[in-house]
Amino acid sequence: MNLNKLIVLSRSVKLGRNVFAARGACLHHFQSRRFIRSSARSLAYAKDLFLGKVNKAEVFPYPEISHEELEEINQLVQPVEKFFNEDVDSMKIDHEAVIPPETLNGLKELGLFGIQIPEEYGGLGLSNTMYARLGEITSLDGAIAVTLAAHQAIGLKGILIAGNDDQKAKYLPKLATGEHIAAFCLTEPGSGSDAASIQTRATLTEDAKHFLLNGTKFWISNGGWADIMTVFARTEVVDKDGQRKDKITAFIVERAFGGVTSGKPEDKLGIRGSNTCEITFEDTKVPIENVIGEVGGGFKVAMNILNNGRFSMGSAGAGLIKRLIELTSEYACTRKQFSRSLSEFGMIQDKFATMTLNVFVMESMAYLTAGMMDRPGVPDCSLEAAMVKVFSSEGSWICVSEALQVLGGLGFTKNYPYERYLRDCRILQIFEGTNEILRMYIALTGMQYAGKILTGKIKEMKKGNVGVVFEILGKKLKDSVVRTVDFGLTGKDGVVHPSLTESARMFEQNAAHFGSTVESLLYRYGKTIVEEQLVLKKVADVLINLYAMTAVLSRTSRSISIGLRNHDHEVLLTNTFCKDAHFKNNFLLTQLQKNSPENNDANIKKIAQEVLAKRAYVCSHPLDRTF
Amino acid sequence: MNAPRHLLRIQCIGYVARFLGKPVQRVILPAGAHLQTPGSQHNYGQLLRPFHCSAVCSTSRPSQTQLEKTVEDETLNKDKSLVTHDDLFERAARDSKTKADFNRVVDVFSKKDIRRRGHVEFIYAALKKMPEFGVERDITVYNKLLDVFPKEVLVPRNFIQRMFNHYPRQQECGVQLLEQMEIYGLMPNVETKVLLAQIFGEKSHPMRKYQRIMYWFPKFKHANPFPVPHVLPSDPVELARFSLTRIADDLDAKISIYQYPSTDITEPGEEVMRPHIVGIQSPDQRSLLAKHNSCRPVFVEGPFPLWLRKTCVHYYLLRADPIPPEEKVEEEFDLEMIGPEQSLFYPQRVELDLERDMGDDFSFSVDDVEEGPVYAMCMAGQGDQATLSQWISGLQETCPILGQIPTVFRLDSGPRELQTSSGAQQTPEQEVETEQIIEEEPLLSQRVKL
Repeated sequence: MNLNKLIVLSRSVKLGRNVFAARGACLHHFQSRRFIRSSARSLAYAKDLFLGKVNKAEVFPYPEISHEELEEINQLVQPVEKFFNEDVDSMKIDHEAVIPPETLNGLKELGLFGIQIPEEYGGLGLSNTMYARLGEITSLDGAIAVTLAAHQAIGLKGILIAGNDDQKAKYLPKLATGEHIAAFCLTEPGSGSDAASIQTRATLTEDAKHFLLNGTKFWISNGGWADIMTVFARTEVVDKDGQRKDKITAFIVERAFGGVTSGKPEDKLGIRGSNTCEITFEDTKVPIENVIGEVGGGFKVAMNILNNGRFSMGSAGAGLIKRLIELTSEYACTRKQFSRSLSEFGMIQDKFATMTLNVFVMESMAYLTAGMMDRPGVPDCSLEAAMVKVFSSEGSWICVSEALQVLGGLGFTKNYPYERYLRDCRILQIFEGTNEILRMYIALTGMQYAGKILTGKIKEMKKGNVGVVFEILGKKLKDSVVRTVDFGLTGKDGVVHPSLTESARMFEQNAAHFGSTVESLLYRYGKTIVEEQLVLKKVADVLINLYAMTAVLSRTSRSISIGLRNHDHEVLLTNTFCKDAHFKNNFLLTQLQKNSPENNDANIKKIAQEVLAKRAYVCSHPLDRTF
Repeated sequence: MNAPRHLLRIQCIGYVARFLGKPVQRVILPAGAHLQTPGSQHNYGQLLRPFHCSAVCSTSRPSQTQLEKTVEDETLNKDKSLVTHDDLFERAARDSKTKADFNRVVDVFSKKDIRRRGHVEFIYAALKKMPEFGVERDITVYNKLLDVFPKEVLVPRNFIQRMFNHYPRQQECGVQLLEQMEIYGLMPNVETKVLLAQIFGEKSHPMRKYQRIMYWFPKFKHANPFPVPHVLPSDPVELARFSLTRIADDLDAKISIYQYPSTDITEPGEEVMRPHIVGIQSPDQRSLLAKHNSCRPVFVEGPFPLWLRKTCVHYYLLRADPIPPEEKVEEEFDLEMIGPEQSLFYPQRVELDLERDMGDDFSFSVDDVEEGPVYAMCMAGQGDQATLSQWISGLQETCPILGQIPTVFRLDSGPRELQTSSGAQQTPEQEVETEQIIEEEPLLSQRVKL
C-alpha cells in the first residue's frame, strides 16, 4: 500500500462525498495540523515549501532598503554606469583576451574591488542588496564581471566571513583598493565539481609554525595575476577518538610566499578577458596564522563562500538583458520587412515578452534573496541563492539567444555585440557549481529537511497504522472535496494584493500539491532518492518555479501598494508568469506521480544507457538496407 | 539489374500465351529478343536464358574440352553405367577446386543437352559439392544452379495442376537449394526470385520458401549484437586482438602486444620460434591489481577456449581468489563531505530512516556468487610457462606490484586438438596456428523445409 494508491482510493470515494460532507467539520483538523508543525525559528522559506508550508513572513513584504542606502547606491551607480558606457571597450577586451590596465585602474578608483569590504578596511561596505545592484552594471562586460566576482565574491570572501581580525587588518585594505587581487583555489584536475577528492596537501613543518603546501589547482579565475589566494588543501587532523584523519583546511596564500607558479591562461569561448589558469604550489611555506577559521574546518568555509556568492548572478543577468532589450527594440522598431516594421510581427513580440518576463523574474528573485541575506542573524539562504543562480543563468542564455535572433544574420556577426554576449553568457550555467549539481543540491537539501520531519509519519503509514492511514485518507478526501488550498496569502489578512488573487491561488495550489508530492516521493524512494536524479531535477524545477512565483507576487504586491511607476505592467507580468509557471508546475508534478504516462524517465535513461554502452549513436543509417 | 524487367515480361508473356494459345510462344520469343535494344552480349544471353526452346538453343560446340567429352560419354552411357554426377565434379576438378571450375561443370551440363536430362540429380550433387569448391556462400553460383532447371515447363498451367503438387521432385529440389542457402545464411536476391518465378511459377513451393526466407532473414540479420565476421583475420596477432576485445567488452581496455611472432636462427642452426603474446587489460583491472594484497598469489590459468564460428582460439587469464571478507576494507567516507549537511556541491547521501518502497523496488533478488577478480587476459602462440611468464613480466611494466606478488601457473596440458575430419579444408594460414585453431565440419542439416 502506498500513497498513490491512497490517492486513487480517495478519488473513488468521491462518490460518497455527500456522506462525508457532513463530517467535514471533524475532518478539518487534518488541514490545520499542517500549520502546527513548524520549527521554532523559521528562516528557511524554500525548505518549508518541501513540507507544503508557505512561510509567508519570510518573503512578504518584499524587502526594502532605507532612504539613505538608496541615495548612496544611486550616487554610486551613476559614475559606474558612465564608466562602463564610455571607458570600457568590451569588443577589444574580448578580442585581445585581456583587460587593459587603464580599465582596471578605473575600476579600482571606483572602489569596485572592495564593494562588500567594510569601510574600516577601506572598502565600500555595501550590503548584499547594493552589491547586487552594482552587479547589474558590471555584468555589461562579462570578463570584468567575472574578474570582480572572482576577486570579491569568492576570492576574498573567506577572509571576510571567517577570517580573524588580524587577517582582516592585514589583507583587506590592500584588497579593497585593488592593489592586491584575490583568487579562489578549490578545483583540482582530478576533482571538477567534486570537492571531496582534493589532493593538494598541506603538511605541518617540524617547528609547527608553517604549513608546506603542495599540489595543483585548475580553472582558477584571476589565477594569473592574483596576489592573495584562498587555497583549500588536505591536512592531517587528529580527531576526538585520537585517530588521524584528512580534513580540508582553508589558507590565505600570498604569491610572495614563493613556490607559486601559474600556467598559461586558458583560451576560452567566452569571458575571454578574464584570466583563468592553472596554479601549482610547490613547497609553498604558509605561516600557521594564515589558516582561515580553524585547521580542518575549511570545508565549511568553502561552503559558506560559495553559498553566498551565487545570488548576485540574478541581478547580473537582469542587467545584461535589460541592456539587450534596449538594443534590440531599437532595431525591431526601425527595421522594415514586408513593408511593416519588425515590431509588428507576433513572433518578434513574443521574443520581447520572453525577455521582459525573464528580466522581471530574475530581478525579483535576486533582490528578494539579497534582502533575505541582509537580514540580521545568519539566515540560511543557500537554497534560495542556488535557485536564483539556476534560474537566471538559464534565463539569460535563452534571452541572449532570442535577442540575437531578432537581428537575424546581423546578430551572428562580430559587428554586433550579441555573439559576444552569447558566448559570455554560456559560462553562467557552468561555474560556481554547474546547474545540474545545483539542482541536485536544491532538491536533496529540501528532501533531507522534509524527510527528517516526515519520517515518523511515513513509517507509521508503511506499518499500516490504521489511524495514520485514515488521517491521510481524510486529508486527501478533504482536498478533493474542498479543492481550494488556503495559505492565507489572499483574503482578509492576505499579504498579496487583491489584483493578484488569481496568481496567488495558483501558487497556493502548486505549493500544496508540491508538499504532498514530496511526501509521496519520500514514501516511495526513502534514502535511495539520491539515485533518482531525474526525479530530483523535476523537484528542483518545481521549487524554482515556486520561488520565482513567490518573488514576483511579493514584489508586485509591494509595487501596487506603494504605487511605483508602471506597476500595472508589473501586474501584467506577474499574472502572465504565474499562469505559465502554474502550468509548468502542474505538468512536472504530474510527471512525478507514480505510473504517470507523462513520465518518460525510464525511456530517457534507457536511451542514454544504450548509446553510452556503445559510446556512439546506435541507429542504422536511414539509407541502409538488409537485402 | 534486368531481373525486374524480366519478371514483368514473363508475366506479360504468360498472359499473351494464355490468350493466344501455346504455339504463339515460339514466334514471340525471338521477336522479344529483337525488341531488346542493342545491348551487350551479356545482356543478350540473359535475355535468352528464360526461354529455352529448341529454336534458340544453339547446338554448336566450338571447342569440345576434355570435360565435355566426359559429360557426353556419361550421358551416352547413361543407361549402361551408373556414373553419378558426384564423379562429374570429382573428375572435373581433380587438381583445383575453384569457383571457375564449378561454374565450368555447370555450364557443361547445361550445354550438353537441351532437355537437361537428370538435372535434379545434378543439382543435388552440385549442392553437396559446393562447400568443397568454396562456393557455398556465393549467391551467383546458386542462381547459376537454379538456372539449370528448365524454364516454363514446370509452371502449372491450370487449376488442377496448381492444386496438386506439380512436378514434386523438381520443386523439392528447388526448395532444397534454397534451404542450403538458408543454412549458410545467404540472402537470395532479385535474380533468384525471377528464376524461381520462371521455373516454378508464382505460387510454387520454392517461391513460398523464397518468400519466407525474405521475410525472416532481414529480421534476423542483425540479431547478434556481437557479430563475428565470416572471414577471420589470418594474422595470429590480429586474430588475438579481435578475440580479446570480444571477450573483454570494455571500451577502455587496452591491447598490448608483448611479443610479435618471429623465427630466430640460433648458432647451431636451430630454428627458434618466438610465439606471439597479445594481452588486454582495462584501467579498472589495472587499478584492482595495484590494490592486490601482495601476500596472496595470483594465478595464470588456461587455456580456455573461445569459439569464433568454426575456429577455436585459446586464451589465458591472470586472476586471483576472491578477497576473504575479513580483509575487505570498507572505503571510508568523510560524512562532512558527502553527507546531507554539505552544500559545497550536493549531498551524495541523505540521512533518512526510510528505505525504498516495495512498489518501487525493481531490483531482483539474485544470489551473488562472489568471484575473484580477473586482472588481465592474453593470447599466446604457445601455452607453456616460459611464454606466459613473458606476458607477466610485460604486465609488470604497468603494474610494478606484480613483481612482489607470487604468481602461480595453473596451466592445462595445452589446447587439446580435436582431430579435424577434413584436413584438406584448412587453409595454409590456419595451419600455421594449428595449435589453437581447430576446424570442424560444418553441421549441414539435410532436412527439407518447406
